[in-house]
Amino acid sequence: MENLEIVFHFSTPISLGFPWIFFDSLLAHIMLREEFGERYYSLPTKVPIKDIPRPPLKYYRDVPVASVSVLEPNPGMYVFSYFKRGNFPFPRGKIRRGSGFFKDFYLKAVYVPAQRARFYATGELNEVRRLVSKVSALGKERNIGFGFVRKVEVMEIPSEFGLVKDGVAMRPIPVKYLKHYEDSAYLAYKPPYWAKESVELCAVPFTRVEL
Amino acid sequence: MRSTVYESGALDEWLERWRDYFVTHYDEAGVEEKVSEAVDFAKQYADHGIVSVSGGKDSMVLLHIVATRVKPDVLVFHWDHGPYLIPREIEQKILENIHKVAPNAKICIKTYRAGFSERARTDWKTWYSAFFGTLDSLTKQFDVKYHLLGIRADESCRRKVRGRVVERKGWIEVYPLYFFTWKDVWAYVFKHSVPVPQVYFSYAKLLGWRNVRLVTFFDKEFEKYGSPQLDSVLLWRWKTIF
Repeated sequence: MENLEIVFHFSTPISLGFPWIFFDSLLAHIMLREEFGERYYSLPTKVPIKDIPRPPLKYYRDVPVASVSVLEPNPGMYVFSYFKRGNFPFPRGKIRRGSGFFKDFYLKAVYVPAQRARFYATGELNEVRRLVSKVSALGKERNIGFGFVRKVEVMEIPSEFGLVKDGVAMRPIPVKYLKHYEDSAYLAYKPPYWAKESVELCAVPFTRVEL
Repeated sequence: MRSTVYESGALDEWLERWRDYFVTHYDEAGVEEKVSEAVDFAKQYADHGIVSVSGGKDSMVLLHIVATRVKPDVLVFHWDHGPYLIPREIEQKILENIHKVAPNAKICIKTYRAGFSERARTDWKTWYSAFFGTLDSLTKQFDVKYHLLGIRADESCRRKVRGRVVERKGWIEVYPLYFFTWKDVWAYVFKHSVPVPQVYFSYAKLLGWRNVRLVTFFDKEFEKYGSPQLDSVLLWRWKTIF
């Protein structure tokens, strides 16, 4: 396993649904998509998949050694507001505007006009390189053009920065694994990140910690 | 690389600029006259009324006007939505603000019990029945006739056509701030240092002062307005509650 630095270069701003993107969940997502193929887009919604593939990464106890996204430069957040409503000729008769084709909705996408997203991880170089080459866009609202990836670089680096870099947590780390921490919150620290079982009291990314 | 959404220094500087703007607006746009008019209007109803305070800017301005210029010992109703819809830190701040603005008021706090379950974020129908049921019982308990609310005509066409005095089944709603614009409300907040939750400013910076509202957080009911997505980024700390 090698220490890696992965840089995604964007051609469009990145939209976020949470302040950070987890590199291990990104790899797991690509692996799952490879495994399921087209079926990935028609998965049952009532029974979520719990057997998530294990990304080719090193683990510190049960925490993947992979950082969250570091957006560069970080000029702050903005909101893309869009109001979809029927401004087209409506058909005759009664139509439903609460759901379906004529549904009205607001979209408020939080975006960061960053040029790069940098990740640190420890894993298998070739496999990570192969997986990240399949990422065409990052973040939310990719279908309307946010987070398009122009280029991905995977570089080998001498030190392991997936968990801690310069005394700063690079991802949520459960406080039970830490000697000292500056700030804590209940956060998911391992995939699946949506599951409550993955949530523990963790050190907040980019705050000072000691392993 | 701090985890906070905004560097506090940058937020302070930004806030200071807007404070100057709104205070100037207060003096130049005749907000004081609107306040006097609201005072005269509220005086007609305060003796037999109860002020409903959510903790948002409009209700806090209304409470400030009533408590300082109409009736210091006014009856106040506050609805606690529970930790899943309003994080406890914010709720705590709201209660502090109410006590600070109206120290002599009689405050009645009712809690939404279902708000202590995660289901509150997805099932809002029970909220409506619980809230309006509480309003009904409150009206009878305190023998009040009027509910003073911080509703403004400027907020929506629906509110504009509704009028300033609205008769409901068991009570009458009156809106002293009916003619206030969003600028007038913020001007009053800054001019009189009316305390509002800090979370307002984080949202105002992204959405603009006109569009910022204090509503329940992570609430599926407001998904069509894109609110939960915004909450996940700005209030990530309270997304998961244990």
